Amino acid sequence: MKKLITSLLCAALTLSLLASCGGGGNNANANSKSGANTSANPSSGSAANAELPELTGGFETPILLTSAGQSADSDIIKTLCTKANITVELENRATAENLDGIKTLLISVGGSSKGLGAAGIDADQEIARVQKLIKAAQDADIKIIAMHVGGAPRRGDLSDKFLPDPFNAADAAVVVSGGDTDGLIRGLLAANSVPSAYVDSQADCIGCLTTLFS
Amino acid sequence: MLEKIRAQKTLITVLCLVMTLAITVVAGMDFYQFRNYQEVIIPGEGVTGSFMLSEYLPDLKGTYGDTTVYVMEGKTDGPSMLVLGGTHPNEPSGHMAAISLVEHCTVDSGTLYVIPRANNSAFTHNDAQEASPHFYHIQTASGTREFVFGSRATNPLDQWPDPDVYTHQPSGQSLSGSETRNLNRGYPGVANGNMTERACYAITELIKDKEIDITVDLHESSPEYPTINAMVAHESAMELASNALLDMMLDGVQISLEPSPSTLHGLTHRELGDFTDTLPVLMETANPSHGRLRGATNEELVLTGKDPYYLKAAENGYVWVPYDETGVAIEERVARHLTGIHYLCEEYGALYGETLSIVGIPSYDELLNGSLSDYLN
Repeated sequence: MKKLITSLLCAALTLSLLASCGGGGNNANANSKSGANTSANPSSGSAANAELPELTGGFETPILLTSAGQSADSDIIKTLCTKANITVELENRATAENLDGIKTLLISVGGSSKGLGAAGIDADQEIARVQKLIKAAQDADIKIIAMHVGGAPRRGDLSDKFLPDPFNAADAAVVVSGGDTDGLIRGLLAANSVPSAYVDSQADCIGCLTTLFS
Repeated sequence: MLEKIRAQKTLITVLCLVMTLAITVVAGMDFYQFRNYQEVIIPGEGVTGSFMLSEYLPDLKGTYGDTTVYVMEGKTDGPSMLVLGGTHPNEPSGHMAAISLVEHCTVDSGTLYVIPRANNSAFTHNDAQEASPHFYHIQTASGTREFVFGSRATNPLDQWPDPDVYTHQPSGQSLSGSETRNLNRGYPGVANGNMTERACYAITELIKDKEIDITVDLHESSPEYPTINAMVAHESAMELASNALLDMMLDGVQISLEPSPSTLHGLTHRELGDFTDTLPVLMETANPSHGRLRGATNEELVLTGKDPYYLKAAENGYVWVPYDETGVAIEERVARHLTGIHYLCEEYGALYGETLSIVGIPSYDELLNGSLSDYLN
């Protein structure tokens, strides 16, 4: 009997160890945590390598700039717009009411725990706000541009939660390449053939903004 | 056998007592010497004066909380900046960036104030059970320089005991008791508070009195901490910080911008913006020597940032900075801080029309490919 119990305990221990080691290899890039716990599915190989249509102009002002994730990347984008001589109204916690008279909604995508803390909200509340805002923009025929300019530091558990809604709804997108080494964003954009630009640095976004609002 | 031991009981007792006393004396001397160690800073020709922080709160005079403020005045008027190094003395790049400004740079227009040992008391001890080195050494033209690797918090000899809960003034925010000795949780400070709160109060009064335009607080954090290689800015400083950050990126410095949480009190980037007219910015670089995943904690780790366990963590995606076998050398970490300071000055000029011109700040690449010793006396 003793032997049986010991054998059972050993088997249980072995199984629990196997379970805790499960989940396969971690292929997160060396600069950031893996993108677990996201509602976006990691893109398949073909989607991740998909060719995307090039950016074209025709987007109109006035522009409302908001954040999806409350990172300070929205301030960076505002500065980039200023350098491109494009006037934007920045409202990090914009709601449908802020869309009056707006022709383009520019969304800065990237999560910040400090930013969410500063806004006094959690990630789920932020996602709900962004979803409502996007819905209102689409109902009012307002064009949507999604930008991910934070690179690898704006990927991972928190930031990845904010990727799907803006990029699925986007009419155009600008991405700093370092933030999409796994092709997750490209996969979202490829699903709707969103005209997009991948750039090496934030400073390169100035040219993209000029093209979009030409 | 038992009788033999009984016969020698007194001898064993005496031996134990002697050993205990010897250990106490050796450890006590070490504590005493470290507490009273005089770190040498050799001001360069750019330093036009200095004064003690206690000028803004006489209660600090003669205590370990008092510290030197270096003044670097330009030939012409212009904006002013205060650089805080050593808010946390176990974060050496901030301390060394401040010292290199004092020792190597000059100011053409405007005024630069530098406090290399912002929490002076925290330079007089180490954090318990961290096995940190007391010092790190840098070979310079004038010989081997010795710098202190201190603690994150004020020495308990100066401020003890910690309360169970630290209540920040004036917000009323509750924090863990040990944060009562953290300089970066005590702003805007309390004139009749504990030593840490008094030092904060004096720094805040200095900023008000000198009408400091920009305040830069230099820090480091563990590679596994998300807010790293980052600038944290008060909302009033967001435009300035975002412009400086873009300039840094054009120089090849990967850095992110974080907003100062309005509900987290006591920090420079929050309280100095709320209680003074300065534009406060805090900068963070990566420091494996106070991270939780580190191996041997020694001088080499402090200077090179090379650690096999962080390498393993990076390979598995558990750190927030690029990390490989080359580590994160002190040169890279100081270069980040100095590049940030340089561009904050430049962009302030672009935004507000007056420039603080600091001469002699090495470029990011110069410091990365050179040695910190080139910028020390």
